[in-house]
This record gives sequence, structure tokens and C-alpha cells, in this order.
Amino acid sequence: MIDLTGKNILITGASSGLGRAISQTVASQGATVFLSGRNETRLKETLNSLSGVGHFVFPGDIANFSIIEQLTKSIIEKGIKMHGFVHSAGIEKTLPFKSSYPIVFQEIFNTNVFAGFEFARLLSQKNIANTEGASFVFISSVKGKLGAPFNVAYCASKSSLIAGSKAIAMELASKKIRSNCVLPGIVETEMVQGLFTSIPIEVKENIIKEHPLGLGKPEDVAALVAFLLSDEARWITGAEYIIDGGYSIH
Amino acid sequence: MKKNAFIKQLAEFCEFSETDFSFDTKLKSIDGYDSMAIMSMIAFVDENFSIKITATQINALSDFNSLMNLLGKEKFEDD
Repeated sequence: MIDLTGKNILITGASSGLGRAISQTVASQGATVFLSGRNETRLKETLNSLSGVGHFVFPGDIANFSIIEQLTKSIIEKGIKMHGFVHSAGIEKTLPFKSSYPIVFQEIFNTNVFAGFEFARLLSQKNIANTEGASFVFISSVKGKLGAPFNVAYCASKSSLIAGSKAIAMELASKKIRSNCVLPGIVETEMVQGLFTSIPIEVKENIIKEHPLGLGKPEDVAALVAFLLSDEARWITGAEYIIDGGYSIH
Repeated sequence: MKKNAFIKQLAEFCEFSETDFSFDTKLKSIDGYDSMAIMSMIAFVDENFSIKITATQINALSDFNSLMNLLGKEKFEDD
């Protein structure tokens, strides 16, 4: 059993899907969770579903980077040191490449990539990072390694997270800050349900068929993230973990 | 938008091998009508009408007439 007692962990995208499941898992393992998400109502639903007490909610769209600065500033003002950060916030647009204009890339990268790295930059500073070490986990995607049709901007964003996470791992190792990436396959979240309504049925059926163990559940990924946040993973940094029910085997 | 212009522009965007179709041309009979074409139709409609339609909706369409009905007859003029 992973023990995260006494750890303060900030999770983006916590109002739904993977972010919510990760929040629930790490809270059940004793962590104090700092929930970031766009939808305040849903964020509070996540809060109400957590084990333990003393968790925090920070509603706001992190694509507006000033929100990130305000959030970290408020943690510093409370005198809290952070042990973990999970960047689970992500947006997806299913579009043919011919319609993937720069503005589409900009919008997706703002949330999926830039906001994550801005959080990591601020949380790695001396006045907020736990001096005994911290763990950052970026939720990438197996699509960031393999690509997928109609998802060029999303795939590019998830690939960027992998490279950035490795560079962060190299640079922050001396501060005992670890940085790793988790690359899920298709997990049954609301975002995926939305994706499935927007793509042709034969494409959807192929996607499901290509996962030998079937589609994943959010808690499957949350368990791996919790491990990477724990002290059990103290020698792991710069790694990328594919968790996809066998999708990438072939 | 004029109905014929709509069909021509949509066909060009989808890169069908021809662009002259009648209103009642069966979509599934068009050479090149595949998953890429469906995704292109979704993008074309979004870009030109700011309407988000799904692949499921498109799959249920029979011809260009039914597509124009889905988007709203009032958005189209006879040529």
C-alpha cells in the first residue's frame, strides 16, 4: 500500500476524469490535495469525494497563466511546502490536419503544455518546494509517442510533455525534485466519451479493438501516478510510463 | 450561402474526386467518402457555420439535402 501521509500534492484538471481519480487515490493514501480545475462546481464535487480533511480548491482556467502565479503565491503565503505536482489538465480537439491552424495549437499547448511547465517552474522554487524532495508527474498520452489521426495538435502537445519532463528531471535532480511522465492509452473519461461521439464509428471500434485489455479506468492510471508521487519511487526520474492495456504492443 | 456553392466548396474541402453533385446525391455513394471525409465535413461545417456536428449525425445523413436540413434550411438560398 502506497503511503502519502503528510504530503501536499497539487493536481490540475481535478474537476473530472483522470485528475479527479488521481485526487481521490492520493487523498485515500493520506495526502493533502490542492485541487485545480476550471469548473468550480465540479471541483467542489471532487473535494467532497475525497478522504480526509484539509484539502484546498483553486478554481480557474490555468490557460490564463496569471492564475497559476496567484495559486502558488497563496500556497507560499500559507507557509506550505509542496511534495508533489500532477499536471492532468488537458484539452483535445479532433480535427483533420488541414483544419489544425496555429490558433488550435496555441489553445491546446496553453493548457496541455505551457500551464504544466509554468506550474512546475513555480513549484520548484525554494520557497515552496519541499526541501527533502518533490515529485512532478505529467500526464502525457500514448498518442504522444505513436501519433493518431485527427489529433495532430494534441499528439504534439503530449509529446512535448515527455521531452520537457525529461529536461526538468535533469535540471532539478540536484534539488531532489523528480519528474516523470505517464502515457495512458484510452481511458474511459468524459473527454473520451466526447471524442467518441465526434469520430466515425469504425474509427471508434478500431480504437477499442486495439486495446487488448480493453479501455482503461481512471483509477488504473491513478494507481501508477500515486506510486510515482511516493517515496517508493525515489530513484525514478526522467522516465516515461506507458499504461495502455497493451495498445502500443503492435 | 447558395446551395450549389455550399456543395461545391464542401466537396473541394473534402477532396472528393469530383465537385459537381446534386442535392440528392447519396453521400455514401461518393468516391472518397470515408472517415477522413467525415472529419473534413465536421471541420468545414464548424468553420463556415460555427455549428458542431458529430460523426454519428453525419452517419445518419442520406444526401446533401439532409445535411442542409441538419444545418438549418434558412442558412441556404436557391441558386
